Amino acid sequence: MTDQPSLLRQLDAVLDSLVADWNIYTTIVAGIIAVFFVYSVISSKDPDVHPFLLARQSTGSPIRQPGESATYRSLETPHGFPLRLGLNVKDPGAPKWTAGRRGDLRDVWKAALRGSLNPDGTVAGQQGKIYTVLGKQAVEHSLSKVTQEINVIGRHLRESDVKTVAICLTDSVELLAAIFAGAFYGYKTIIVPHNFPAETLSAHLKHVQADALIAEAGSFDVSLVTKENKQLSVVLWVAKEGNRHMDWHEVPEGAKDNLEVSVWHELVEEQQDLAGMTVPEYDPSTPAPALNTVWPSSSQAGEFIDFQSENLVSAIAALNSALPRTQRFTSADLVLSIDSLARSYPLLQVMSALFSNASVALNSVAGEQVDFALATAGVSPTVIIASSRTMSNYHERIMQPHTGPISSLGRWMQSRTLEAGNMPSRNFFSQLAQIGPTAELSLDRLRLLCISHRVDGEASARLSSEQLTDLRVFTGARVVYALTGPGVAGAIAQTNVFDYRCCTGQSHFGAPLSSTEITLTGMSEANASDGLPEGQITVSGPAVVNGKTTLSSRGRISNDNTLELSS
Amino acid sequence: MPQAEVMSIASPINLILASLFVVLLYWHFRPKPPVVLPRGPEPIVFRTYIPKTLIEFNGQGDRPVFLAVRGRVFDVTPGKNFYGPGGPYENFAGRDASRGLAHQSFDEEMLTKDLSAPLDDLKDLDADQLENLQSWEERFSEKYLVVGKLVAEGDPEAPAS
Repeated sequence: MTDQPSLLRQLDAVLDSLVADWNIYTTIVAGIIAVFFVYSVISSKDPDVHPFLLARQSTGSPIRQPGESATYRSLETPHGFPLRLGLNVKDPGAPKWTAGRRGDLRDVWKAALRGSLNPDGTVAGQQGKIYTVLGKQAVEHSLSKVTQEINVIGRHLRESDVKTVAICLTDSVELLAAIFAGAFYGYKTIIVPHNFPAETLSAHLKHVQADALIAEAGSFDVSLVTKENKQLSVVLWVAKEGNRHMDWHEVPEGAKDNLEVSVWHELVEEQQDLAGMTVPEYDPSTPAPALNTVWPSSSQAGEFIDFQSENLVSAIAALNSALPRTQRFTSADLVLSIDSLARSYPLLQVMSALFSNASVALNSVAGEQVDFALATAGVSPTVIIASSRTMSNYHERIMQPHTGPISSLGRWMQSRTLEAGNMPSRNFFSQLAQIGPTAELSLDRLRLLCISHRVDGEASARLSSEQLTDLRVFTGARVVYALTGPGVAGAIAQTNVFDYRCCTGQSHFGAPLSSTEITLTGMSEANASDGLPEGQITVSGPAVVNGKTTLSSRGRISNDNTLELSS
Repeated sequence: MPQAEVMSIASPINLILASLFVVLLYWHFRPKPPVVLPRGPEPIVFRTYIPKTLIEFNGQGDRPVFLAVRGRVFDVTPGKNFYGPGGPYENFAGRDASRGLAHQSFDEEMLTKDLSAPLDDLKDLDADQLENLQSWEERFSEKYLVVGKLVAEGDPEAPAS
């Protein structure tokens, strides 16, 4: 009985003596605790995306074939429904409830010309622009001017009755115009990377039986090409500003007599009054011509990928819809590609940007391996499309060595926010983090980095999860990381833009796009049921040439149903 | 001597509050493991059946209920009340149900008795019956999974027993 009160009394005495020690330091510490508590309550936010959506990013089919994994699909296109076929273009005047057309590249350009849409679907009419970045300066081209060029070049090539046009240009507005002219004026386009020696180029032209060539004036020995390619009947030179005074009309020796040589800017100047600012009327039911690109392979020549119009539109639509609504390209965006448009991922991202009425910036030095800082000077983009090679070089050579202790502290604070599922806003800590690593960049408006990795690219170019976190913190932009493969338009798989989780080792490639589905084949049935499915990556869907392709690389579907490369 | 009681930073209450602060800090910045969902059910392996192997899947006991329509094997276990033992269509469980569905008859005569015989080629069906069969097949494809295909015993595709 007497025990309890004495216990209480003791406790009271202890508390008394404790509080008796209260002094100025105690007040300070208590104050700090209170401030920290309030801060952590105020600063806590819902993550950008529900964590369950990152914990299972694709759905596997309920049935699998023996020796294969289940077939994995994007969450956008569940099993039993068709994959994304196209752009769902609704013609004006068509009944509201009808499904849209798949569309083709002509519709992409038409949408770009139409201008932006209001949220209710009416036309606001704000057109994007196309910039070409030359060193530190950007040249602006209006879309109607480009339309004129499309018409002039398209007519010129149609009058010459060519069927297959090889384009060998650096990334430029002429390259885009030539591609769209192909769609409107019905010739097949072959995009040949511009850095090949003349012998390889000549072999390529022979292989595809190109009857016209659009190339940069003076970039290679043309007589060698024309000698080997007797089927070539039109050569169209694109002369740079500084070279325009020269006479490029000379027919090279050994070429056949009727070879027609002309110069792009002269044609445009002569015929622009005839050409008109609007694109020609077209019947959407007529198929748009194919577009070929060259996939670099171990042999120097590379492999031709014959994309049909259906593959392209499916991939454009899927790339667009893979981004959540708030992150899609809008008319306020400026999309800069520093990866060569001869590769399908950058090309189709640019098409997707044009379709969404964003402005596009092209860089003539763009390629798989460029200096990130130099290539992004001159414009202030909101979106950058780059290759994994470029980004891993930049990370290795600039970002990592320039990360001092202050940057590291800032990075650590920012990565906490990322881990909690939020993109850190630009604040004191982001300034702190960016002091060293990205000081030379002028990427104030950057909000999204689209990075693509070739499935057969070097392993050293692959980005780790840590590196992607570094890129997010140091550039202040969200990142999507895509896997591309031969025969697949756009990408095979791409990470979720809100997936900021930082794991150890190489980063995964997210879920398949809504234009593809992935099956791992060549699995041994013995250990198929336990562990993660691992096998050769087989991709099928409307974005895949001939519907299905099996890649040489092996992949794995990890616990969160994302695709990883095995080795 | 009140002066002797110098304000001490290391008083017990300060230590308690300081450690509370450290705990709070840790709680706020501790690394949180990402959310992990349990793996979904393993996918069913697509198999090739012959009538003799298919008949085992008649729903007796805990076994699933399969039935075949024109060579496609459907897993109708979710409709066990109809297709399983005791259901109105129980004769079809583990069998080739094509003829029965076409005739809209659930009698035993509709089934091929000899399990080693070739599959019913359904050549004698009239247009109405074929249409009937077609609509059944469509309904099955909508509702149930195709888990395999049915071939006759001795068919080149038949699994070696």
